[in-house]
Amino acid sequence: MGRSPFSNAATGVLAVAMLMCCTQVHAQAAAHAAQHEAPAPTPRLADGKVDLGGHGIWNQPWITDFGKQVVGPDTKIPFLPWTKAMYDYNKSNQVAYDPQGFCLPPGGPRMFGTPYPSQFIQQADRIIVIFEGGAHVWREIHMDGRPLPKREDLNPTYFGYSVGHWERDTLVVETTGFNEKTWLNFNGTMHTDELTTVERISRPNRDTLHYEATINDPGAYSRPWTVAWDIPWLEGAELAEYICQENNQFLLELKDDFGNAFFKDVPTTSP
Amino acid sequence: MHTKFLGVAVAVCATVATGTALAHHSFAAEFDANAPIELTGTVTKVDWANPHTYFYIDVTGKKGDVENWALEMGSPNGLMRQGWTRDSMKIGDVVTVTGWRAKDGATKGNARSVTLSTGKKLFAGSSQASAETK
Repeated sequence: MGRSPFSNAATGVLAVAMLMCCTQVHAQAAAHAAQHEAPAPTPRLADGKVDLGGHGIWNQPWITDFGKQVVGPDTKIPFLPWTKAMYDYNKSNQVAYDPQGFCLPPGGPRMFGTPYPSQFIQQADRIIVIFEGGAHVWREIHMDGRPLPKREDLNPTYFGYSVGHWERDTLVVETTGFNEKTWLNFNGTMHTDELTTVERISRPNRDTLHYEATINDPGAYSRPWTVAWDIPWLEGAELAEYICQENNQFLLELKDDFGNAFFKDVPTTSP
Repeated sequence: MHTKFLGVAVAVCATVATGTALAHHSFAAEFDANAPIELTGTVTKVDWANPHTYFYIDVTGKKGDVENWALEMGSPNGLMRQGWTRDSMKIGDVVTVTGWRAKDGATKGNARSVTLSTGKKLFAGSSQASAETK
């Protein structure tokens, strides 16, 4: 072991600071736990169905690595060779070409792992999910019992076509008809238009949305795989407008693999 | 030196406590996590816009030379949820910024925190301080 780069005094100061930090975090955790000893029960609508909405927003976490969210007996992403190669390539350039960086919608399950809040508007025949991010987009989930159309009958879109039904207290959403213009995740896991998803969304108490998505894409993965995470509720908070395209300076400086400007018509000053 | 280490630890703490910071594009493609910066300068412009708020400061060097730096923060919504208002920083204010410099060496950076002219320190909602670095 080499000589420590820190002097003892500096290490001491650092340790005290970290202790302060941990104390603060622990105090917060304790307050959080006290506040949540008896979490408010799952809200329900007049017909008894779980209410995924209310006066608040879902404070979505930033899920940057689907590889850490895989649930089930095998927790590895079942890449086909080309998706593994593209994953490695995307990693090699620090995911510079992530479509979301171009202000395009994250699409698919990733939309619930993008760190801008969301809100459910629940009606008898459909559920609308409004996302503040990506940019200010929404999804429509048909709840009127219609069958899921065939993929080949649909115009491929960022969010595909969704039908949902309730299995006890879990909203089950099947989606097909995705385009190939999104990544499944920030870290460069890609997909084809053969992608279909089954999402299972539940609200075990007022303050928690449990989100699970099974990804089935025989064009990109050797078997279906499932990712899951929890999304906390922010009671009383509201969505705000977010128009990603207005000042996306990242694109002005984006370079291709050869160091040339990604867009040939990049203005010399920002608009 | 000690205050520097304290600063690092407090920043880590702030990051943990703050949780979600708003993120739009790859931090690592544009900024260097190994090139921390701390700048004090006079605000020349504030672009309160999506997907990232930018502000610009004139920083005077030791020889009296002045450089204009561009600093990226989170989205306006994200900043407002962390205590910012659009009047928090005005042209002419003297502010101190910590963050990370652009990889290409330009006078540009990603802000981690901003100490306003009032002395109030606010988290800048930068992408670096979020899940990408975990």
